[in-house]
Amino acid sequence: MNAISLAGVRKSYGEVLAVDGLDLTMEPGRTVALLGPNGAGKSTTINMLLGLTRPTAGEVRVFGRTPDDAVAAGDVGAMLQEGTLIPELTVRELVDFVRRLYPDPLPLTELLRVTGLTDLASRRADRLSGGQAQRVRFALAIAGSPRLLVLDEPTAAMDVESRRTFWQDMRAYAAEGRTVLFATHYLEEADENSDRVIVIARGQVVADGTAAQIKADAGGTSVEFFLGAQPAARLDALPGVTGVTILSGRATLRTTDTDATVAALYRATTLEISDLRIHGADLEDAFLALTRPSEA
Amino acid sequence: MPHYLKIEALRMLRNKRFIIFVVAFPLAFYLLYANLYGDQTDQSTGTRAAVILMVSMGAYGALAASIMSTAVPWAQERHSGWLRQLQITPLPNWMIIAVKLLSALVLVLPALLLVVLAAVLTQHVSLSAGQWAALIPAMWVGTIPFAALGLAIGSLTRPDTAQPIAMIGMFGLALLGGLWFPVDMLPSAMQTIARALPSYDYASIGWEIVAGRTPPGSSVAALAGWAVALGGLAVFAYRRATVRA
Repeated sequence: MNAISLAGVRKSYGEVLAVDGLDLTMEPGRTVALLGPNGAGKSTTINMLLGLTRPTAGEVRVFGRTPDDAVAAGDVGAMLQEGTLIPELTVRELVDFVRRLYPDPLPLTELLRVTGLTDLASRRADRLSGGQAQRVRFALAIAGSPRLLVLDEPTAAMDVESRRTFWQDMRAYAAEGRTVLFATHYLEEADENSDRVIVIARGQVVADGTAAQIKADAGGTSVEFFLGAQPAARLDALPGVTGVTILSGRATLRTTDTDATVAALYRATTLEISDLRIHGADLEDAFLALTRPSEA
Repeated sequence: MPHYLKIEALRMLRNKRFIIFVVAFPLAFYLLYANLYGDQTDQSTGTRAAVILMVSMGAYGALAASIMSTAVPWAQERHSGWLRQLQITPLPNWMIIAVKLLSALVLVLPALLLVVLAAVLTQHVSLSAGQWAALIPAMWVGTIPFAALGLAIGSLTRPDTAQPIAMIGMFGLALLGGLWFPVDMLPSAMQTIARALPSYDYASIGWEIVAGRTPPGSSVAALAGWAVALGGLAVFAYRRATVRA
């Protein structure tokens, strides 16, 4: 059974189409990044998974059930983009309150320990720093030991150090066989912390795979050299090449496999090649290539 | 659910504004007024002012507690994302409003009981066991319409508008309902309005009990009617506020 499945899901707010025919499934036990620019439909998708928003059309299932039933069964924990705490309550009171709402929660001392809140347990929520409050919100999300953990841009308000600790904690939680879905617009976060990246733009899936596959699919790596006046014919037939451009005597071959392309260039052609350069793409280029609005 | 109730009560009792306006105010005014006028007696019933004031200030404290513990906190929770945090836990939706109403009732008790205690200790107010047994539950359960009103305000307004509306509602009901001075002192047109308010019916039930009379059925029926009407409004507003579009 899939942890998550969305079939033909659309969501419109009046005239605005936030999610436009989303189909995706996610196996249990994986950590998946939902990557996309602002306004791509990430939060709307997450809110539909949590039952906070109803789809205009299509079907959403969480562990084979409706989102409402999955939430009621305690299968889901989430850290939403906005969410203040109750100022008058202490960290321990807040965390303990939420964990008691779940049928099979984490033990309180363990929960405080893994989220690094043991020393802050008696502090009132209105005396926490921004980073500390985020840690409490993470603790609330995992308090019930949910099978599915959903994080909507969890590190948006964190400094570098808090971010590093946060992802460590998240990976430790995911390592116990739980399913994690997180939305982000930070490319390196998606790259470093997930085993699958789903790129969405304008409410649709535009790429889906490991970070490495997405880089390759976007044709982000290239081999560039000086060709001069030599004929460019058959360059596009070299292994790995997906596109050829020639500008003022310089050829740029977009390729999915730089090694194979370069080897073939020297062995299978008789061209005089000079000033050869290889450009490795990063996910950033791939991301920009994928999410750029197509010119109609 | 008991744990949720405890958490809700705890947070309000740690809120300085709540303690000052709701617990300290009625107590302080009772002590002040009872010292000034406590020994006067009401001509029609022969009841000492210290006793009538106990009902009036107890009623004010209870009314203030039930509105202040509901309207603004609930508007804030809806707006700040705390409600959404609760909605993604297994806690059922209906339990949120049920606990809000119950915690408002629990929070009525400190204000009400402290005024009564002050009356007994400083003014030596004494009632028959039957009067006490009627007065305290009546003044406690009688706050249901006001708690419902507070919840409706919290569901229908944003936090920054909930604050003044709750304040106006609370002082308006207290002043016009005759909790601060007798309704008879108002101009006659105002008296008609005052007598139509739930706060007047609520306090009247208390005043009749301490005067040794059975509260008129019309007051009890009117207050029950307000409870049903405002309770219905609160449920309607709550559904509207928590609808998942």
